[in-house]
Amino acid sequence: MSDFRIRGLATLKAKIAAIEAGGRSEPKFLPFGDERIDGCLPGGGLPLGRWHEIGGTGIEVETAAAPTAFTALLAAPLTQQGEVVWVLRRDDLSAPGLLGLGFAPERLIQVCARDEAEALSVMEDALATVGVAAVVGETEVIDLTAGRRLQLACEKQGATGFLIHRRPYGGQARRETTGSAAATRWRIASAPSEPRAGEFGLGAPRFVAELERCRGGRTGAWLFEATDAYCWEKTDVAHPLRLVADLGDRQLAPAQPLRLAG
Amino acid sequence: MALVPELVTAEAEPEADAEALTALADWCVRFSPAVAVDAPDGLFLDVTGVDHLWRGEAQMLADFRSRLITNGLPFRCAIADTPGSAWALAHFGKDGTIAPSGEHEPLLASLPPAALRLDRETWAQIERLGLRQVSQLVAIPRAPFGRRFGRAALTRLDQALGHEAEALTFRRPPTPWFARLAFAEPISAPEDMSRVTVDVATKLCARLETEGQGARRFEVCFHRVDGKALQLSVGLSLPGRDPVRIAKLLVPKLDTLDPGFGIEVVTLRAEAVEPISGRQARLDKAREATVEEGLAPLVDRLTNRLGQERVWRAVPVESHVPELAVGRSRPLGKPSIPQTWNREIPRPTRLFRRPEPVDSVIALTPDDPPTQFRWRGQVHRVHRAEGPERIGEDWWKGQIEDADVGHIRDYYRLEDTKGGRFWLFRAGLYGDPATPPKWWLHGLFG
Repeated sequence: MSDFRIRGLATLKAKIAAIEAGGRSEPKFLPFGDERIDGCLPGGGLPLGRWHEIGGTGIEVETAAAPTAFTALLAAPLTQQGEVVWVLRRDDLSAPGLLGLGFAPERLIQVCARDEAEALSVMEDALATVGVAAVVGETEVIDLTAGRRLQLACEKQGATGFLIHRRPYGGQARRETTGSAAATRWRIASAPSEPRAGEFGLGAPRFVAELERCRGGRTGAWLFEATDAYCWEKTDVAHPLRLVADLGDRQLAPAQPLRLAG
Repeated sequence: MALVPELVTAEAEPEADAEALTALADWCVRFSPAVAVDAPDGLFLDVTGVDHLWRGEAQMLADFRSRLITNGLPFRCAIADTPGSAWALAHFGKDGTIAPSGEHEPLLASLPPAALRLDRETWAQIERLGLRQVSQLVAIPRAPFGRRFGRAALTRLDQALGHEAEALTFRRPPTPWFARLAFAEPISAPEDMSRVTVDVATKLCARLETEGQGARRFEVCFHRVDGKALQLSVGLSLPGRDPVRIAKLLVPKLDTLDPGFGIEVVTLRAEAVEPISGRQARLDKAREATVEEGLAPLVDRLTNRLGQERVWRAVPVESHVPELAVGRSRPLGKPSIPQTWNREIPRPTRLFRRPEPVDSVIALTPDDPPTQFRWRGQVHRVHRAEGPERIGEDWWKGQIEDADVGHIRDYYRLEDTKGGRFWLFRAGLYGDPATPPKWWLHGLFG
């Protein structure tokens, strides 16, 4: 591509972004601090002021443990900017567990909704509120209209939404909607940890994160480690998630991710 | 019965009577917020400072009478300085007497001693002695009177005459934060009801504002033409006095009310009133938003919609038992608690309210972590493990006999070959063949 065309493309992209932002303030991003993943995301980081879908695999569709931990790690830096509202359907979220991952529970407001529609409307309400930095919601499915409404609510104050897909216990699988207004869609699975040399027990929690959809960016799959989990000292990294390995674009090998990690 | 065959008899129903009296007390709130039930058949209304709403006590009493008559209730009433003299006049005086302020004593003088709310024995004794009027009792010197008829009788006499204050148990504590709107025509349309809600809130909030107060709870009461009172209440997370905000919380709930043939009076009461600092409306939009503008209205909306117990902030509780270590507090309560959970002890992100049983556990006795377990029909092979972390019950909080070795839990943090991280515990110890230890899954780390 010629220099001229590249520049033309960049201008065009900026224009589209400006139209999408609708004259609102500059979009912000939360970089992971590793080029291997930031390069795939538009703007060099997780877009803030948008909403993100996070799903699990296998039994995690019902328990949502790994997606929860991953979301808490993603949202942990946002607790310094304001409150985080977590909209639950089952109140089994444990604040001490979130604290262990570096997520400040004193900024967390938990809300237990009675049904899916209520969960979504509470999310929407919270996203549009001044002083709320992020909203995490747990619902099974979300349709295009509801997704678009969430997006509009995100844009009002620049809050970031996270939607964890979670099926009620023993519920029948519902058809997943294909289209979505979300900025990114992730599928998270726990991965075996690697204790440091000379240490016993479990290492820092690891996750295989597959970026299934990404507006204005590329998809991919990575192995992350929450290096600072369960200790007071903080290592000198910007993001609580450290990238261990790039698992390639859509070539996830869940059976043996360890080998790739080595 | 044989003498008067047309006599209608009905069984006494004390519970139903008490219930009806309570309902009537609720209805009387339209006249005064301070209503006390005088079982079994009376009501006290503290009308101090409310009669001006009717332009005088006479008009107020007339309104009261006409409304009770419309409802077909037999009654007697009186207004006086003290509850005791009002009771006496209502029961033994002329119905509808209004004793001018400070002049109840002459009116009481001619009443029989029973008007003093004496118990039966005392009253009978007084009658036996030939004392037929209150004035005769007043004439007796206090000391012999007290010796003869007892301390209670003296108290009753003093209360009636106003020498001694009487504490009434009001159905609701009297609150000066009360606003009332009456309508010339009964209203019933939903839009009218929401409009009067705003109006009555504006009225009360204007008063709150002039006195620098805010309230945490607002109770609106719609009085129907047929005498029913419909109540709604909303709570605020921070004391407030913004009528629009309060009305906004109330209006969605109006649908649940049935206006029937119409609403003629609406009242609003503010509770938990406390001073709030006046805050200047922002001149500079770019400044950081305050809690009052953003979070507090959000929390109010959510708690009033979902209920108080569905919106909370997790706070540490001093307990080692995992399910007891987390308490719930109001979302906008005092932040920054000095103590917190220990970050270095791993705890699951999802803690089940009830531990789930796991079976087919293969573990070396006595203390080795399991090498395999089955949960929800799926076998997990343990790849890495940590533990045990022994957690006992808080035996010092209960009866010492209830403490049992079977309540000891040994927690293990396990990771299976696929990477799933689990929090298993074994309840009880090995050694007693009668009660073998059981394994449970308490949470997931993710």
